[in-house]
Amino acid sequence: MVEKREEFKAFVTLNVAPFAEQWDRDQQVPAGVISQMAQAGYLGCSLPPEYGGQGWDIVTFGLLNEAFGRASSALTGVLTVQAMVSMALLKWGTTEQKRRWLPPLAKGEMLGAFALTEPGAGSAMQSLVTEFTGNSQGLVLNGSKKWISCAQFAAVFLVFGTLGGRSVACVVPKDTPGLRIEPISDLLGFRAAGLAQLHFQDVEVPSANLVGKPGYALSHVAPVGLHYGRISTACSALGLLRGCFEESIAHAAMRKIGDKTVGDMGMVRSLIARMGTDLEAASALCHTACRAEDDHRPEAFEKTLMAKYFTSRAVVRAASDAVQIQGAAGCHGSSAVSRYYRDAKIMEIIEGTTQIHEDILGKIFVDQAGRCGPLARSD
Amino acid sequence: MSTADPNGIKHTIRSFILSSIAVPDLDDDANLFESGIVNSLFAVQLMTFIEKTFAMEMGRDDLDIENFKSLNATTAFVLRKNGRPSG
Repeated sequence: MVEKREEFKAFVTLNVAPFAEQWDRDQQVPAGVISQMAQAGYLGCSLPPEYGGQGWDIVTFGLLNEAFGRASSALTGVLTVQAMVSMALLKWGTTEQKRRWLPPLAKGEMLGAFALTEPGAGSAMQSLVTEFTGNSQGLVLNGSKKWISCAQFAAVFLVFGTLGGRSVACVVPKDTPGLRIEPISDLLGFRAAGLAQLHFQDVEVPSANLVGKPGYALSHVAPVGLHYGRISTACSALGLLRGCFEESIAHAAMRKIGDKTVGDMGMVRSLIARMGTDLEAASALCHTACRAEDDHRPEAFEKTLMAKYFTSRAVVRAASDAVQIQGAAGCHGSSAVSRYYRDAKIMEIIEGTTQIHEDILGKIFVDQAGRCGPLARSD
Repeated sequence: MSTADPNGIKHTIRSFILSSIAVPDLDDDANLFESGIVNSLFAVQLMTFIEKTFAMEMGRDDLDIENFKSLNATTAFVLRKNGRPSG
């Protein structure tokens, strides 16, 4: 475990951290770094060796995402969506689908993207209007998807829609006629994550590309992908939170105001105390979620929701405070924390907004009280 | 756990369901998904519980609401599946 952590840190220090600011400005990650990630085995790290993956446990997957998240939230998005597509296919794909798609995904020869969100259906998954219809040749797909991470460089999409009123998920290769990919630029954060809008016009796909059975895409296929997406995002946010903390304590220790340092100021210590404690708490929640998934425990889903919910909110606070501590310098593009501030907000939105997490977790907690009966009140 | 003891299987699944939803008791044939008493994670949590508890793996062919709609249906599914690997 320690060796892996050191390996990831060394990779990121050499190949990611020095370039992350430029990628953010360019709104693009170069293909070269993705090839390096593929060669290191990172893009299929949680897939079984029988498909060419590394077979790493989820705790190690979490450490990988944390290490990348420390340097570039945008590049970590590649790990996120690759896992979402790969793990959904691993769980619900047919033998033929797994044999065809998983080896190139595992080796990073092919990147995937998870095409769920639509212009009119984000948190409300039941409102999907993207539609598959059947014909004698197979399926015909019409509709559009928006805010799809890594869609600019993905070779294959897992597209969600309806077929005869039932939810379906279907593998659609990028080069399928009728699919147009429209890059989305000038985002607040995750600017290099290759987001795009997908337009499907009479796109013909074989029925054999349906993943899972019709009617189960939203209840079973999407939740598996989103679950791994939340694990990845929670750990990526943890890395970003660590970045905010490290930048802040370094600034507080080094920056002089008169004969004192910034860290001598009680108000700054308060901000750093909160940040450091949030970091410890977030780390514990992320680790607990990853362990629950490795143990294949049902509570892994709610542990992951808690980890993503807490860490994404904590990193927004931490990034704001990190800018505050650096003052005007923190507001300039030459300071890493200005990018952290923009990327942090995205963490609260992707793979389920904070409010969606509160809705689900709130119900879970209230239901627990319901099962225990009314709480005794002490007057 | 053995996948040959219907009463033990039903008891185990009942305990899990009652620990997951806010009802004091559960009729063996009550439809879990039409009742609105389960949360949005319940389907995948129940799947994960069955896989872990009964040492079996579910796949595409097992996706059928008839397998999981009630306590009795889920028990029958586990008995039918009996630890066979999914296709």
